[in-house]
Amino acid sequence: MRYLRLLGIFFRTELQFELAYRVNFIAELFGLVMIVATSLAAVLVLFAYSPTMNGWTLPQMLVLLGVFYIVQGIGELAFTPSFERFMEHVRLGTLDFILIKPASSQFLVSLRHFRISAIGQVVLGLGVVGAGMVQIADTISAVDVISFVVALSCGLVLIYTLLLVLSTLAFWFVRVENLLVVYQAFLDAARFPVDIYPGWLRVTLSTVIPIGVAVTVPAQAVAGKLELAGLGTIVAVAIAAWLFAAWFWRFGLRSYTGASA
Amino acid sequence: MLRAYRALLVAGFQNASQYRLTLFLYVFFSVLRPIIFLAAWVAVANARGGSVGSFSVTDFATYYIALTVVLHLALSWNAYEFEFQVRQGRLSPLLLRPLHPIHYAVVENLVWKMFTIVALVPVLILTGITFGVHLTAQPWHYVLFVPSLLLGAALRFLFGWIIAASAFWITRVSSVSTFFDRIQFIFAGQIAPISLLPGALQTVAYAMPFAYMFGVPTDILRGATTFEQTLVFLFVQAAWVVAAYLALQAVWRAGLRAYSAVGA
Repeated sequence: MRYLRLLGIFFRTELQFELAYRVNFIAELFGLVMIVATSLAAVLVLFAYSPTMNGWTLPQMLVLLGVFYIVQGIGELAFTPSFERFMEHVRLGTLDFILIKPASSQFLVSLRHFRISAIGQVVLGLGVVGAGMVQIADTISAVDVISFVVALSCGLVLIYTLLLVLSTLAFWFVRVENLLVVYQAFLDAARFPVDIYPGWLRVTLSTVIPIGVAVTVPAQAVAGKLELAGLGTIVAVAIAAWLFAAWFWRFGLRSYTGASA
Repeated sequence: MLRAYRALLVAGFQNASQYRLTLFLYVFFSVLRPIIFLAAWVAVANARGGSVGSFSVTDFATYYIALTVVLHLALSWNAYEFEFQVRQGRLSPLLLRPLHPIHYAVVENLVWKMFTIVALVPVLILTGITFGVHLTAQPWHYVLFVPSLLLGAALRFLFGWIIAASAFWITRVSSVSTFFDRIQFIFAGQIAPISLLPGALQTVAYAMPFAYMFGVPTDILRGATTFEQTLVFLFVQAAWVVAAYLALQAVWRAGLRAYSAVGA
């Protein structure tokens, strides 16, 4: 509860900060619209040649693309801004100031900063998901919608834990901004279902860097491609990943010595 | 001028060798992108029984590997850094130096490409093995590919500078940059080989400069053009380069007059 209130305060300060640069804010929104529109165009070009792609129909693919932008948007909105700052804190030794605050260090490090304009991306993603779902509305049951929401939440947990683990590496390697580039590069691959990729890439996107499953599995739920076992697996994996990342964070924290200590 | 370039190159190499891992990682992952659309087209081809238009699965692989090479060699980034320099007023000392700022950018790009090509090779081999490659290019394709690539790189570079020069008037170039990046995403041959863009889009693609930056050199490299077509393409590329050069000169001169350094 206290954490929710803190989250509210952090969010408000970031919003005020962002609103100080209104033209910039609008320009960023315009850029987002441009990005989503061109991605849609790319999907339409592909589907101009075939009604299905590896068993995915166009509406199902739209849902997947929408989920991609929701996941990417929430990552940009809530996760990456904080992790970027965190790495800076480790490098400069200013992490000390965060560690002495009376709240969970993992919470303060990972959910302190927000990029408000990314809300636009989440909204656009929801719109694309909606556009896809409307076309296949009669095949979607209430159970599908519930498993979609569950799978999407698990996907977000996976993304969060991945970023937390990557960032924690900063305790040993200090300069790990590049690892966020890894995240971004693989994230881009999630715009298509993982099953279209050749073996090594598919395996990477489903295990070590689970960005692929984070986007594909929720879309599968709507496309009627997700068995109960699959849903159970992603829930179990998300919980396991969360526990591991939290443990890894505490483990890494013990190695932190401060920059001048 | 040559001596200046040699000194800049040496300094650039020394600078870049500090960040070997950064460069390596960056390249390794920036080449993932063409593989994404390659996989998508392979899925579409498989759904149609093995081919799309004149493209078989191996043709797609060849196309996207050729495109990765072209993108890597012909792409340049300037707008972001230039915006930063103008916004922070750091451009002023550069303007006082005897060498035009554009030369520093040329060298930076050269060094970057020479450095990163090392990382590119294993990725291309991996992709080649995964999808299978099929080379149909004649020797003259490779010969004419060289000027086509150079013209493409020059066009992209000049175009990037025209956009960057808009920083003289608007201090946030990144949104302008995003706009053109996304147009390029559609029309330069990244989401699809230009010959597979549906009807009107294809016409638009050949009427804009972006196809001549990457798509055209790629088609020449993989041997998909006739000799006459290649010559026409080279001519159009050259025309675009001249146009972009003249435009940049005009924009640069007008921009310098509008430029008031921050803090001046």
